[in-house]
Amino acid sequence: MEEIRIQNISKDFDGFLAVDGVDLTIRSGELFSFLGPSGCGKTTLLRMIAGFETPQRGNIFIGDEDITDLPPYKRPVNTIFQNYSLFPHMTVWDNVAFGLKIRKVPLPEIQSRVSEMLQLVKMEDQSAKYPAQMSGGQKQRVAIARALINKPKVLLLDEPLAALDLKLRQHMLIELMNIHDAVGITFIYVTHDQGEAMSISDRVAVMDKGKVVQAGPPDDIYERPASIFSAYFIGETNLITGQVIGIEDEYIQLRCNMGDGEFFEIDSTFHFRPEVGQQLTVSLRPEKIAISRNKPRIQDDINVLKGSIEDILYLGSHTQYIVTVGKLKFRVFSQHKRVYFDDTALDWDEEVWLFWHDTDSWLIDEMPDEAAYASESMVHPPRFGKREQSRNIAEEQ
Amino acid sequence: MRDKREIKPVNSFNQKIDYILAAPALLWLTIFFLVPYFIVLIYGFLTPDIFDIKFEFSLDAYRLIVDGTYFRPFYVSFRMALLTTVLCILLGYPVAYFIARAKEKLRNTLLVFIIIPFWTNLIIRIFSWRIFLSYNGVLNDFLISLGLISQPLEIMRTDWAVILVMVYVYLPYMILPLYSVLEKLDFTLLHAAMDLGANEVKAFFKITLPLSMGGIFAGVLLVFIPALGAYLIPQLVGDQRSLYVGQVITYKIKNIPRNWPMASALSFTLLILVAVCLLAGYYLYQNRQKTKRFG
Repeated sequence: MEEIRIQNISKDFDGFLAVDGVDLTIRSGELFSFLGPSGCGKTTLLRMIAGFETPQRGNIFIGDEDITDLPPYKRPVNTIFQNYSLFPHMTVWDNVAFGLKIRKVPLPEIQSRVSEMLQLVKMEDQSAKYPAQMSGGQKQRVAIARALINKPKVLLLDEPLAALDLKLRQHMLIELMNIHDAVGITFIYVTHDQGEAMSISDRVAVMDKGKVVQAGPPDDIYERPASIFSAYFIGETNLITGQVIGIEDEYIQLRCNMGDGEFFEIDSTFHFRPEVGQQLTVSLRPEKIAISRNKPRIQDDINVLKGSIEDILYLGSHTQYIVTVGKLKFRVFSQHKRVYFDDTALDWDEEVWLFWHDTDSWLIDEMPDEAAYASESMVHPPRFGKREQSRNIAEEQ
Repeated sequence: MRDKREIKPVNSFNQKIDYILAAPALLWLTIFFLVPYFIVLIYGFLTPDIFDIKFEFSLDAYRLIVDGTYFRPFYVSFRMALLTTVLCILLGYPVAYFIARAKEKLRNTLLVFIIIPFWTNLIIRIFSWRIFLSYNGVLNDFLISLGLISQPLEIMRTDWAVILVMVYVYLPYMILPLYSVLEKLDFTLLHAAMDLGANEVKAFFKITLPLSMGGIFAGVLLVFIPALGAYLIPQLVGDQRSLYVGQVITYKIKNIPRNWPMASALSFTLLILVAVCLLAGYYLYQNRQKTKRFG
């Protein structure tokens, strides 16, 4: 088993830098995800590993072999395409056997390996069907079998679940993990869905504008985002900006503008040493904040803010509150437990207390780049979020 | 449950509309195609007269076909039609492929170029070929002026002239259906094939070609059938020693003594021949699909 080394890879499409100097090492046997909004270069990077695109700069190695300039059919990788790309004029059996037939493997061996593969993906009783006669989930399984039968060193998956509905997606996700465990080869998984990436991956590379902005295990990226982009793109977060006014042993004090001339002060632990007077951003996940109509007991290590409820979004497993503090808006998740701090549910326009432990926030040495938004409300999502979303929709249409 | 009677009036109304809308065309086809073919069928079993026909039953015409007297024109026509079709596929496929993969703007321009010849009458186009190919024609003048040949080539009135003009006339009929199939082809399938180890050539023969068989079949229909019955082109540019079926049929009607039954029998035999060829082709095409599994 060999690792994949991506060295300083760049790809330019007529002046648009799709991939910009990416360096990554993907360990052997790992389930690795490229995660990012559409247009971030993740698919282009995958296609360069598959051999459908040639980089202008950089090299890709599998083990010691430089595969940068090899044509797709000479690479020890296979791909699961977004729309499966099953051959419509062939049965399931022929689709799966395709790679072996091309390599002129003897027929008895083809037969035994195809049935073995169809068994792995639980499609052994569907071998005579044509792709047009199958559901999305079944096509997905055939695509997996068709790729894995060639015993690739790496399996590339290009948004493989995008075309499936939610339940099936969750089911296939677990199945993909099982298949990964069963075959033990490296999987590279491309997705724009952070939930998929988080649940399936050993490690994730978050990509933005052709660059890898952060790579690491999912919990690392979620709990310790390296940039505003990572913090915002993975899950939801509140971004609070402020000025450092004091540093103690393990805490910094941050003075934050509420947007209306008023200020509040919060404490936070830190993982790098800021300077007094420095402007910083704090990422605070909505589920880390507690919400109550009763003022909590004052403690040293708890931050407390007072606000009022502007909006309540009932989301089934939890409720999202939008709470305004001055001109800032905080998102807060609250689970539906029978035991509230008091027994009635919170209501619109109610005065509430927000509080969180000061180890639950995470410092980011970066300011949201849009000045306009920063003055209006610091805990708003940065603008790129909305822009990406509308672009996604436009592309899908 | 919804009451079915509730829906029925709507349905029967739709059906009525369907019939009414289809009626003019069906009537047209019946009167001007089916009935004449029926007359042709009957004429084949009648007795010839010098100018007209005698209503007496006779099998003479078909006997002459069965005993092989007219084998030669059928053979000549069939050979030429087959050659034309094959050449049209070989020449048309790359063109259709290129147009289908071109950028949209270029694609539309190229399609217009394919269609432009249709704006000129077929006979005029064939006569242009005569001028182009003749002994003292444009082509010979040009080749001599280049010094490539010293004597004019005798192209006019040869089978070469026929094949040249046939391919010229029928090529668009092959390109257009092929284009419409290739344009819809999902080219990521080729990436999938290459991903699975097929090089460009194998990917073409395993994926592109099988998936464009429908277009080839449609093109063959549009080229082979008219080419088999071709009359105008062999008549105007062909070698007058080799007779095509279309020419024989015309002579039987035009020249005195007329032989309407013979012409009818030849026409009907041609029709049967075309039908048999197409059914055989279709059967092969379908069968290939089924037996490929272990192929």
